[in-house]
Amino acid sequence: LESNTKVMYFAHSLPITHPVHRAILDMKESLVQKSDGQLQIKVFPDGQLGTEREVLELLQIGSISMTKVSAASLSNFAPDYQVTSIPYLFRDREHLFKVLEGEIGKELLLSSTEYLLRGLCFYDAGARSFYAKKNQIGSPEDLNGMKIRTMNDQMSVDMVNTLGGSATPMAYGELYTALQQNVVDGAENNIPSFVTSNHYEVCKYYTFDEHTMVPDVVVIGTRFWDTLNENEKIWLQEAADESVVKQKQYWEETVAENMKVLKQAQVQFLYPDKSEFSKMTTPLLERMMRDEKMKTVIEKIRSE
Amino acid sequence: MYTLINKIIEGLLVAIFGLLVIDVVWQVISRYIVGQSSSFTEEFARFSLIWLTVLGAAYINGQQEGHLAMDFLLSKLPEAKRKGRQKVIQISMALFALVVMVIGGGNLVYTTLRLGQTSSALHLPLGYVYAIVPLSGLIIIFFSWYNIKKLNK
Amino acid sequence: MSIELISVLVLFISFAVLLLYGVPVAYSIGISTTLVLVINMAFMPSVTTVGQRMTTGIDNFALLAIPFFILAGELMNRGGVANRLIAFAKSLIGSLPGGLAYVNIISAMLFGAISGSAIAAASAIGSTLTDKMEKEGYPRQFSAAVNISSSTTGLLIPPSNVLIIFALASGGTASVAALFVAGYLPGILVGLVLMLMVYIYAKRKKLPRADRVGFRQLLIHFKDAFLSLTLLIIVVGGIVAGIFTATEAAAIAVIYATFLGFLNKELHLADLRGILLKSAKTTAIVMFLIATSMAMSWVFSFEGIPQMLTGLMVDSVSNPILVFLLINLILLIVGTFMDMTPAVLIFTPIFLPVAMALGMHSVQFGMVIVLNLCIGVCTPPVGTLLFVGSGVAQVSVGKVIKPLLPLLMAMVFVLFLITYFPEISLWLPKLFGLID
Ligand code: NA
Ligand code: NA
Repeated sequence: LESNTKVMYFAHSLPITHPVHRAILDMKESLVQKSDGQLQIKVFPDGQLGTEREVLELLQIGSISMTKVSAASLSNFAPDYQVTSIPYLFRDREHLFKVLEGEIGKELLLSSTEYLLRGLCFYDAGARSFYAKKNQIGSPEDLNGMKIRTMNDQMSVDMVNTLGGSATPMAYGELYTALQQNVVDGAENNIPSFVTSNHYEVCKYYTFDEHTMVPDVVVIGTRFWDTLNENEKIWLQEAADESVVKQKQYWEETVAENMKVLKQAQVQFLYPDKSEFSKMTTPLLERMMRDEKMKTVIEKIRSE
Repeated sequence: MYTLINKIIEGLLVAIFGLLVIDVVWQVISRYIVGQSSSFTEEFARFSLIWLTVLGAAYINGQQEGHLAMDFLLSKLPEAKRKGRQKVIQISMALFALVVMVIGGGNLVYTTLRLGQTSSALHLPLGYVYAIVPLSGLIIIFFSWYNIKKLNK
Repeated sequence: MSIELISVLVLFISFAVLLLYGVPVAYSIGISTTLVLVINMAFMPSVTTVGQRMTTGIDNFALLAIPFFILAGELMNRGGVANRLIAFAKSLIGSLPGGLAYVNIISAMLFGAISGSAIAAASAIGSTLTDKMEKEGYPRQFSAAVNISSSTTGLLIPPSNVLIIFALASGGTASVAALFVAGYLPGILVGLVLMLMVYIYAKRKKLPRADRVGFRQLLIHFKDAFLSLTLLIIVVGGIVAGIFTATEAAAIAVIYATFLGFLNKELHLADLRGILLKSAKTTAIVMFLIATSMAMSWVFSFEGIPQMLTGLMVDSVSNPILVFLLINLILLIVGTFMDMTPAVLIFTPIFLPVAMALGMHSVQFGMVIVLNLCIGVCTPPVGTLLFVGSGVAQVSVGKVIKPLLPLLMAMVFVLFLITYFPEISLWLPKLFGLID
């Protein structure tokens, strides 16, 4: 390698079959071409270098340069991202990306630079919905008394509890066994994760209530970003933006393939009246609106 | 000084361990009786374990029966040579404590506090959790100094 | 030379030098890890990263089971649980020729089955039985050898701290519940093979058999041991039935062991502080080792060492039978000079991908590595269990080796059975639906 080559360590927690990993490889390829081999990316999948929170911290410390995390993880570092976790704030996928790829999205990506983390682009992470072992969740009442695994953040916990379920935060890795052994009755996630985690082997009911559409974010540590010259910054941003288009396409392909797998495994799908769920979660939205800055952003998103 | 530090650490270790047991037992009870498990019992337990481990490790450095080591070669050496080696071992532990725990851990605390990262359930600044690392590093350095002084006698 | 190769050399050479010099294992691991990172990146990010990896490496709810099982073991040790189990085992099989040696093995299995610690089993049972066994005609070194080897069964039979550590080191590919259930058959198999060895010894030496115990006496001893044995069902049953996680089960075991100790009137409120402190020390030693090992295994990933080694081993020796043999031989050698916890933490990330690439299930690999290193804790120069067992029997380590050797050979025999017959490890967890 030549001495002016810069190597970026890119760590993420998804398996190599995941659409996100494929998009990252595309970004890597296109960056090598643009920079004539000057900028290299070394990808570490499968959480080899740590969980999302830990890797973000390593970006701040400066030993890792890039990562892909859920916007929910990022909100513990840069609170502005919390807005993406509000249930039913986005009407649909189109609305979501109109916001994320517009002015609000750009501001959001830059909002974390004061925390040494610069967002490069948003990836599609679908919509999260409930799935269960025995119960068919057709309306919020069906959640009553059900133990639902959530991510370990206040918004996820509150959302499940507000809907009448009993939120059980737990590490993702322990979930398969927990479902099998009835420690929890169900969980919530998007279709690709439902399949790659093999949870569909245990849970035969998937309800498309689509409560949240928390996007993924590609992040670079500003400690590394600042070592790049103007050209390199432009190449990297371009490569990231190009990978977004690919990632969305991969995501759709994956979901389509996954749906085939799920149908084969005789998973039953429920399509409930989403407004019933949405109505019950308004207290969460109202709580977020108490913050003046958040209120402005939420109103802007709704008017998009 | 040595006795005082030991007394304080012992009190802390017993308290943390006791709280840990109560915390996790409460987590099971609350899930079955109250029907809801709180996300902060888990987080509290994880953070307590970090404190118990790192502070406990520093405490072990001041004890006769120390950390696990391959000391079977050491015990065969004549006394003067053995003492010399033991001093080098004490210095290398103190160096690790200084470089990784005090400087590295200190920078970690500084970074997480300055950037305001908070834990997801308790909303506790992560810097407070990490603070045990540089603190224990200082304790290890103190014990190394104390042990070397004892070897010199 | 590439930076990766230099890193690997620095890592292993500095680690070996520090270890042999006598620097504690946890610190040796931490220092070599730091050296490697400093070669790869600037000073401040490297040392901060080591500090972060140490802390986040133990920031794991599943690991909490370790301090709790340590505490539960200590409480049982003080609370008179061991004596009741021995009395029960004696009335069960004491009348066979050379009865007390079987009693030792069965008691070690039972105590190990509820406490999760081999050291606790060896010290609790050895201190009670060695004198009695001497009266029955067993030389003290033979009793010690039986006690040491049989105490390892507690590391396979659940609950087991080392299996929890393996689950962590496997990066989530093996669940604690599956490993716990898988441990029964290999653990019992080791116990049975050791009993067979004792049988051969007792026949040859024409050792006496104890008086047969009446059925009523058996009932009385069973009643005394019943509450202790209940713990076995609560802990493992609770985990398998999904009532609680392994960590929560361990916390329940603490409460239950305290309750038993008070009930047996052998534990007092005033003892609790001392027991907590002693357990905190043991916890700190084990967990600090885990902390620095986690930092080292991060550097392994950062340098791509496991992938490099997998490629090397799978490409050069493609025959699984030979690779498994090679892994076992390396681990047997490692086990002679390295303690169990660091060996599991360091070698799991290296060998597990190789084994899995050649079709071995991660749960089976867990059984293989743990049983392999069980042999290691019984061998000099570093053999924690060997030292504890010789200590409580008050015989020198050197004398114990001779009677221990055939028992260890028997364990090696079981090790190869487990390596080449996956069903021994996988049948039970499959039956309970814990693995596919
Ligand atoms: Na056990
Ligand atoms: Na050994």
